[in-house]
Amino acid sequence: MSSESRSRIMARVRHASLGQNAAAIEAQLDDFGVAPAAELPHDDTCVAFMINVLRNQGSIDVAPQRVDVVKAVGQYIYRHYRSHRLVAGNDPHLAAMPWRDGGVLPRFGEIEPGEPVALSYAQWGVAETGATIFLSGRNNPARNNLLPEHHLVVLDVNQLLPDLESLWQQLEPAITGAERPRALFCIAGPSSTADIEAQLVCGAHGPRAWHVILTGEVRQEQLDTALDVLSSKKNPGGS
Amino acid sequence: MELQSQHFTRKAVAALADEAAAAQRDAMALFTPVVREAAVQQFGDFEALRQHVKRIRRHSLDNLDYYLARFELEATNNGNQVHYADSASELNSIVLDICQQHDARKVAKGKSMVTEETGLNDYLKRGGLEVIETDLGEYIIQQAGETPSHIVGPALHKSKEQVRELFLEKHALGERELESISDLVGEARSVLRDHFLQADIGIIGANALIAETGYSMLVTNEGNGDLCANLPRVLIICTTLDRILPRGEDATAVQRLLVRSATGQPQTCYTSFYSGPRRETELDGPLETHIVLLDNQRSDILASDYREMLQCIRCGACLNHCPIFTASGGHSYGWVYPGPMGSVLTPLLNSLEDTAALPNACTSCGRCAEVCPADIPLPDLLRDLRHQQSQENIGSPRWRMGLRLHAWVAARPGLYQFLTTRVMSILNKLGRRKGSFHKLPFASGWTDQRDFPSPQGESFMQQYKARRDDRE
Ligand code: SF4
Repeated sequence: MSSESRSRIMARVRHASLGQNAAAIEAQLDDFGVAPAAELPHDDTCVAFMINVLRNQGSIDVAPQRVDVVKAVGQYIYRHYRSHRLVAGNDPHLAAMPWRDGGVLPRFGEIEPGEPVALSYAQWGVAETGATIFLSGRNNPARNNLLPEHHLVVLDVNQLLPDLESLWQQLEPAITGAERPRALFCIAGPSSTADIEAQLVCGAHGPRAWHVILTGEVRQEQLDTALDVLSSKKNPGGS
Repeated sequence: MELQSQHFTRKAVAALADEAAAAQRDAMALFTPVVREAAVQQFGDFEALRQHVKRIRRHSLDNLDYYLARFELEATNNGNQVHYADSASELNSIVLDICQQHDARKVAKGKSMVTEETGLNDYLKRGGLEVIETDLGEYIIQQAGETPSHIVGPALHKSKEQVRELFLEKHALGERELESISDLVGEARSVLRDHFLQADIGIIGANALIAETGYSMLVTNEGNGDLCANLPRVLIICTTLDRILPRGEDATAVQRLLVRSATGQPQTCYTSFYSGPRRETELDGPLETHIVLLDNQRSDILASDYREMLQCIRCGACLNHCPIFTASGGHSYGWVYPGPMGSVLTPLLNSLEDTAALPNACTSCGRCAEVCPADIPLPDLLRDLRHQQSQENIGSPRWRMGLRLHAWVAARPGLYQFLTTRVMSILNKLGRRKGSFHKLPFASGWTDQRDFPSPQGESFMQQYKARRDDRE
């Protein structure tokens, strides 16, 4: 049974391992240093993040103030559903938004099947991958990230990190604490598949669209720069 | 899964004869290397990353006893139940037991090559459970009653017309248009959504296990694995010992290599890390989580000269770059893992006798080793397997006799040169007019399929000598 298998497997693994002590193993691991990260597509971390979000089939709104955020959310839902309803996680940042100014009626809590739009507050963004990062918890039901047709994410640009190594540094207190978060989600795009004839289709099982609303010290010109970089990469001969 | 590798040659011949399928494989073989190359270029110093990860993977395997014990401790503290399975059948029975303890009826599964290896679906079905594969590719082949043809894109051998026919036949949804690929994806989405919501048990694999914290990493684009991991009340993660890495940053370093090598993306849509069951304050997530660690020969491979094979991160790049895989298709390999990585793993996880054709299905072109993000010397491992076969007298007596004769002649340079010079000069004279041969005695294996070009007259050694004399 399982415990016998455990002993057998452990014995075989021990036999095939080097038998070093913990201190030697940890020292060796430290010597390997840090893995190289992907080159950022722009010197400005925020622009680099935007470029990667767009490459990941995401879309972006720039909303420096809280009132801009609610307006952006309101316009987005109206554009797609002619509606002003959405489900939002219990995150205090979201609860504190002036929703009425944008004509939005959020319901706070867990998404129910059939509800088309959910809004989440991302704890961080990673420029290297263009990902928004969420820790599971009371304020952030996992299903809100997975079940809607449109997943809207608010991210404060102060929370942007250059690469995955900086993310692990930020996570350190949470994951070394007594109770680790159940889940950590790095979401970088709408759900997609290329399983039929290798053709990319968005909306495989999860959201069909992933929209990132950047707030804080962020300017529209940064988004324009990101769009310019992408269009010049697509048409290298163009002006 | 039942081993069919004994029939590799017969199946490869049949696969080549299916022109439409062969054309689809050719198209993939042209497309996938291009997207991978672009992603690798865009990364920057990909080689430095590859070497870094190789050092970490080697270190993890060298000290697997330490990291395995650490992972078990952390995962248990996180609230998981950790199980060990020595064999495929043991994994299957552990999983069925868990399902039965919960009176489960329906299981939603994320993509997992490990459970393909153990044949879990059939086992659970025999135990009375309804098992739904939720990765689109896996779902398609499950509906078609087939096995995966590729470790990353299990249904890439199917055309959209074939998928359309399949869905029209299997889904009782009445008259409807399923013209485009997005229509097909949309239909699978709506059918599978209900299964996700109704499933009692979710089963997923893991791309990495993190010893320091007990998290497991799951990398997907569809998000189906995450739905399986978050909606049902019980989650079972089925994986193998060799997925263990020391730290979170090591897992994301592997992920950097994996996405670019597998699909040529800079990033997959979902990279998730799971530590255990729902916390008290949480609204959702499974109430109970299990991690089943399968060995199934891996600890033996760890102790063998083939240890490097355990560094494989299952990206599929070696398949996409292999001329034999492209020509013969994944199903010809007759088991779960096809292509170069499969030709090494299948014999190691089964028997050298029953898989004798696989290590020989190699042109030694070396493309697999060039692109392998784990830097596994696949052609060398395949050669070592062939050597082992010959030492253990595996393969047809005629073939072994031929090899022995060749080795005997090749070990005598004077005789070798004499014979090759003679034979080449005769063939040159005979074939000069046409430039090639349709048929040659003792070489029907070659000439049955293609012409043999007539030699240009002088052997390499003759030309080399002549040039050296000229220079002097
Ligand atoms: S052997 Fe290398 S290239 Fe092939 S699947 Fe494994 S990691 Fe990828």
